[in-house]
Order: sequence, then C-alpha cells, then structure tokens
Amino acid sequence: MEMGQFITYGVINGAIYALVAIGLGLIMGIMGIFNLAHGSLAMIAAYISLWFFQSWGIDPFLSIPLSMVILFVLGIGIYKGLFSSMKKFSAGQKLRNSMLVSFGLVLVIENLAVLIWTANERRVNTTYSGLAFDFAGLRVPYIGLGTILLAVVVIFGLHAFLKRTFFGRSIWAISQDYQCAKLMGINVDRTMLIAFGIGVGLTAIAGAVISLYTVSPSIGLDWVNKSLILVVLAGVGSIDGILFAGLLLGILESVSAYFVGVHYTGVVSLIIFLLILMFRPQGLFAKKVGR
Amino acid sequence: MRFFQKKMVIPALIVAFLFFLPLFFKGEYYLNMLCTLFLYVILSQSWNILGGYTGQINVGQAAFFGIGALVTRLLWTSGIPFVPALLGGGLSSVILSLLIGIPALRLRGHYFAIGTLSVAWIALITIENIFPGVTFLPGKYVATYSLLPRYYAFLIILLSAVIVISLAVHSRMGLAMESIRDDEEAAQAAGVNIFKYKVIAFAISSFFAGLAGGGFSFFHVSYYWSMPFALMWCFEPILITFIGGVGTIWGPIIGSLCYVALKESFALTMGEINVLIFGAVFIFIILFFPKGIIGIPEKIREHLTKRMGTNVGRDVLGKSQP
Amino acid sequence: MLSIKEIDVFHGDLQALWSVSLDIKDGAITSLIGSNGAGKSTLQMAIAGLLRPARGTIYADQIRLDNQPAHKVVDAGVSMVPEGRRLFPEMSVLDNLEMGAFSRKARERLGETLEWVYDVFHILKERSRQRADTLSGGEQQMLAIGRALMSLPKFLLIDELSLGLAPVIVQRICQILKEINKSKGIGIFVVEQNVRMALALADYGYIIENGRITGQGEGQALLNSAEVKEAYLGIN
Repeated sequence: MEMGQFITYGVINGAIYALVAIGLGLIMGIMGIFNLAHGSLAMIAAYISLWFFQSWGIDPFLSIPLSMVILFVLGIGIYKGLFSSMKKFSAGQKLRNSMLVSFGLVLVIENLAVLIWTANERRVNTTYSGLAFDFAGLRVPYIGLGTILLAVVVIFGLHAFLKRTFFGRSIWAISQDYQCAKLMGINVDRTMLIAFGIGVGLTAIAGAVISLYTVSPSIGLDWVNKSLILVVLAGVGSIDGILFAGLLLGILESVSAYFVGVHYTGVVSLIIFLLILMFRPQGLFAKKVGR
Repeated sequence: MRFFQKKMVIPALIVAFLFFLPLFFKGEYYLNMLCTLFLYVILSQSWNILGGYTGQINVGQAAFFGIGALVTRLLWTSGIPFVPALLGGGLSSVILSLLIGIPALRLRGHYFAIGTLSVAWIALITIENIFPGVTFLPGKYVATYSLLPRYYAFLIILLSAVIVISLAVHSRMGLAMESIRDDEEAAQAAGVNIFKYKVIAFAISSFFAGLAGGGFSFFHVSYYWSMPFALMWCFEPILITFIGGVGTIWGPIIGSLCYVALKESFALTMGEINVLIFGAVFIFIILFFPKGIIGIPEKIREHLTKRMGTNVGRDVLGKSQP
Repeated sequence: MLSIKEIDVFHGDLQALWSVSLDIKDGAITSLIGSNGAGKSTLQMAIAGLLRPARGTIYADQIRLDNQPAHKVVDAGVSMVPEGRRLFPEMSVLDNLEMGAFSRKARERLGETLEWVYDVFHILKERSRQRADTLSGGEQQMLAIGRALMSLPKFLLIDELSLGLAPVIVQRICQILKEINKSKGIGIFVVEQNVRMALALADYGYIIENGRITGQGEGQALLNSAEVKEAYLGIN
C-alpha cells in the first residue's frame, strides 16, 4: 500500500478520534471534570446503535438522534449522581476525585457490558460496509467518507452553538468565569448539568461510527485514552482544535504504521503526545496559556 | 535521629509479630494474603511520597511496578540470585523515572497526571508487543518454591520502604515536599528548589514501586509478561492512599488493609460480578468520603455541630464571639 | 428599597459580617466605605447571592433575596459589578454585553438596552468587536458596568470601582453613574476604599469596620464629620 492510501486511512481514523473526543473536550474544558468513563460511554453508544440495527434494521447513521437522546439522559443521570457534588471543589480535588469516581464507573460499565453482551466482538454490517469508491486512485470507503463528513459537521456545529447561541455562550461564559456567569443571571448548576449531558450525548455520534467497525466491552479505555490525548493536544478549552488534532494524530499514526508496523502505532502516537506535553503543554491551539 | 520514641513501641511490636508469625503459623492461605497485603502497602507508600506528600498526582505507577517486575524476573530466571536481581529491578525503575521525570515534572496538575498515565500506557502496549504470552519459572525454581522467602522478602522491602519514607518525610526534605504540595509558588518564593525535590520524590517513589514489582515477579510462578503493567496498578495505590489518608504514613497501611480485605471478600462471595460490585463500592466511597477514612472524624464533628446549632463565630483576630 | 437586616456572614469558620443592617433606597446613590478587609466585598457578595448569610434577611422590596441563588437575585432586579473588572476575557465587548442581558426579560429588550448602553459609554460601541481582554483598565470598568446595566436592574451594586484606575477615569465614571441614577432611577450601591470619591458621589453613606457598621449619614455630612476626616482622610 502506498503512502497516499495510508494517509487516507489516517484521515478517516483521525475523524473517528475527533468524534469521540469532542464530548470529552466539552466536559473537561468547561467543567474541569476528568471523566475516565468517557470511552466506556462511547462503547455503550456503539452497542445501542448495534441494537437499533439488529432489532429494527435502522442504519447507525440514522439512529444517531435516538441514541443521542438516550445518552443525553444517561449523561444527566451520571452527572447528578456522581459529579454534581464536586462543584465546589478546588481544581486539584476535582481532578483527583472525578478521575477516581469515573474509574469506578469504568469498572461497573465494562463488567455490565460483559454480562449483557458477552465479551465477543461485534459489528454492524450494512449494505455498504466494505464498499468504497475511487478518488484519484485512492480507495475511500463509504463509511470513512461518512465519518469525515460527520466529524466536520459536528465539530463546526458545536463551535457555532457555543459561540452564537445564547445557551451555548452561557456554557462558554461559565468556562471563563464561573462566578461572573452567575451574576449574569445564568443558572450555572442547571447549565452545567445540561452541558455534561450534551458532552455525553455527543458520544452517540462516535458510537454509531464505531459500531460499523468493532464493538466489544473492552474498547472503552482505549477510546478514552485517545480522547484525552486529543483534548490535551488541541488545548483544553479548544473545540475546533480537536478536529485538527484528530486528523494530525490519525495521519501521524498511519504514516508511522508504514515504518514500524501496525502494532506500535499506539506507542508512536503516545510518544508524540508526550513530546507535545513537554514542550507545549497548552496544546497546539489553546487560547489560554499555561492552563 | 529520634529512635526509641514511645510511639514506636506499637509498630515495633507489630513488626516483631509479623517476623515471627510464619514460624508458628503455617496457614498458607493467610500467609499468601499477607504477601498481597505487603505488596499493596509498599506500592501505596511509594505512590504516597510523590502524590500525598509532594502533591504530584502520578497516574502511571504501573510502569515502574512493571519495569521492576520485568527486570527482576529476567535477571533472576537467568541465574542471578534474587537479591541483586531485585535491586536491579528497583534501579531500572529509578532510571526510568529519571528519564521521564525530568521532562514530565515540569508539567502541572492534570497534565502531569495525563502524562504519567500515557507513560504507563506506552509501557503496557510495548510490553504486550515485545513479550506477548506467559513467563514460566524454570523447573528447578518451581521445585524449590517456598512461601517463606517470599513472605520475608516482602516484609523486608516493606520495612525498608516505611523506614526510608518516614525518615524522608520527617526531615527537612519532607518539609520541602509538603510545602510544594501546599503551595508551589509560595514554596518557590521561599527558596525551595521545587524541581530537585520533585525529582527526589519521584525517584524514591519509583524505586519502591520497582521493588514491589520485583517482589511480584518473585512471588508468582507464572503470569502474563504484561500483567504487572496493567493499568489497575496505576489506580489501586491512588485509591488505597485516598481511603487510608493521603499524606500520612499510616494511610497506605490502613487503606491497604481495607482494600485487600474488601477485594478478597468480594472475590470469595460474589464470583463473576465481583468487579462490578467492587466498582460500585469504589464510587460510593469516593462520593461519601471525599477525604478518605481519615476525614471521617471530621465529618462526624461537622455533623454534630450542625445538629446542635452551635454556630460560634470567630472574628479576624480569632477571638470567639457569641 | 433594598433592605439588609442584621446579617451575619461567615467565610468558613471565620465571621466576616456581624449583625449588619443597611438600607439602599430606590433611585438614590448609597456608599459604603471602609478599609481593606473590613467586609465590604463580603456584603456585596451576600446581597448578590454568591454568599448566604447565616442569620438575618435581605429584601428587595417584597422579594426575599438571602435564600436565593445568584441568578434569581439578578431576576429580582439586583445586578452586581464585581471587584477587579472581571469580564469574560475571550468574548468580545458585544458578547459580554449580550451576556449581561441573559434573563428572559432583558433579552426581549436587548436591542434598545444595547443602544442606551452604547449611548452612555461611547467607547464600547467603537470597540464592540474587540476581545474584552484587549481593552484598557478604564474601558474594562465601563464594560463591566455596561454589562451589569444590560439586565435592566433596579439596583446596581459596584465593588471597588476606583481600584487601579486613573483618577480622571474614575471621575468620568462617577459622572456617568450620577446621570444613570437620575435618568433611569436606578439605585446604586457603591462600596469603596476611596472615601472622598465615595462620599462625594453618595446621597447617603455607611461606614464599616471589622464587619460592623459603625456610622452612617448623609454623604456630605459624613464627608465633613470629624471622625471620617481623621480615620480615613488623614486630616487632623
């Protein structure tokens, strides 16, 4: 396979990573909550897409609105149950406690998933799975194309939401100055609750795409790891940066696969991540310095 | 050095008891449990010196535990006696921590946590690829396998960990570390060389984590090469120290006792779903005791004063006014 | 009228306000003077709903405020300009102002309120697309006040207006505040270390020391009183 093809696959992978990471970016950037269970939630979303497909034949791309609602509700429940008590914590305490609590959640979710769905790998097979079209000599799978389009739409859509709508801007305001936001008449508690729900709801989109590739109960930690890398790469607080960071990571991984083989791509991306952390910890696109 | 204080009597008695225990009590199951307990205490104490005392939340302890296990296992099974192999493991952990630590310690707060987690992840993936599969003890080692040397190895490592860490913590170095935890900028302004102390704490932390790993590789007859690198080893010491009380010497000890007891009772009674229930309990503990078990007396006190409506104010000078 | 009756406010275990009572009349300018750490900001935060008094009550006319969260206090017509010119730094001037009109009521009249605020503070109109953190100190203070005005408050609370600003700018702002007070009848409560400015501006003033109100009176009278002269103006 030549380099161009590798890069194409890299772009597609990058788009998937970005779709998964975007919800986490919203949550970590606005609320300072380190949710290790984020990947596990994407895993649940994937299973839900799978279920919609197997029970009613609904295509994963089409069942997204439905699974978004389900995950939004789940997200609100999780916030209310687990994270709302951490509102008043200092940044360090919130970091540590949310990390630990969400780790417990990962254990619960993954084991529940094994019990309900067994540890086997599954996947949605649609009529277009595995089919591709030819673009300038490169093979572009239909699913891949759909993923890229979706990623672009979601991320720019979220950006517009946060910067143009009143409610979106209230979320943005809270991330800049929590107390001031209250003084504007913003019901900060309720807004954070909804923002968290949105962050989780966004994983539904990622889940739908993931269901077209592979789903199993153990993928959660891998996904949250990738998401964390993207959030930090982009810079905590940067939403558009996540798309670019995702594409960058995807391409770098693919290109390195060309040289070191597929098994070590994870290592390569982690090393790149570590390097960036050391030399530019505010991320590639952050507006806030030294956060 | 302040040896022979009154408060050392009880710990000394406990240690003596533990030393002589295997001579008259042969219950293998319980000795095994104690070994596991010792392992967790060592690992948590090692995490605590960097996390609890110096305030740097390291989520990558599995990497150091794993390297210690790997190197010790390799050295020991190739014929080198256990003790040098163990020290080799500890040393390799320290080298790793210096390699990573020097750049990573410049990161603050969540970046350090994420960075160390990534290191542990890299280590895990790399080992899974270079050493897939299981490591078996060579035949003659299995034939001569006895629990007692393992027990004593763990006990001695534990004692050295507790002693070294106690000494460090009660010295000026410990004071510096705590000042870094409490307010890094103020410490720096007061002339504390932050970077130096963070590196020292990291080195001590990784050394003992490596020794714990060495103990692990000595103890288990066969295991997947990647097992000591599993991410669980990152989170367990944090949880344990948290339960028992961050930034104290007894914290990891109490925490380990609770943790091991809990884990074991779940494993025994619940079969398949034990990890699930365990996760739920984990969540419960953190939500209701955000400061760990050490925070319980404080919580009770708060609850009582609220009940009785005593809201005694103190003004800026600290004088009580009704 | 905004009436504060005998409130005690704590910061953790430490008591910051001791049985503080204060009245802020409609359409008047009231000042609270005191040295650093006397409890001025604490009082404002308690009124705004950011802190809850342990004892006592706060009423805005018939509406009880002390048991409400901050966003409900804004709905009741009380808007605070916090100390230090805190704005939303990443947002533009226009965005900041629009955030001030977040409540449903204010949003409906956003257009006309915005025009009025631009009229009062011309410079904000010029800089409407600029990021808030690129403005000068004086401009930022104007933006902070303008933003608070966007919610169409009955009472405007201003914390440490003069801190870090050049006297000329402070004068300008005081003039503007007087105008707003007259033209729209907004009650203004100013909390200040700059005694001269605060009492010259005020119709009525209060003095706070160590969390207790130790004096009150008409602005001018207070300014001329012996104790104020000695304690705060350094005149013997």
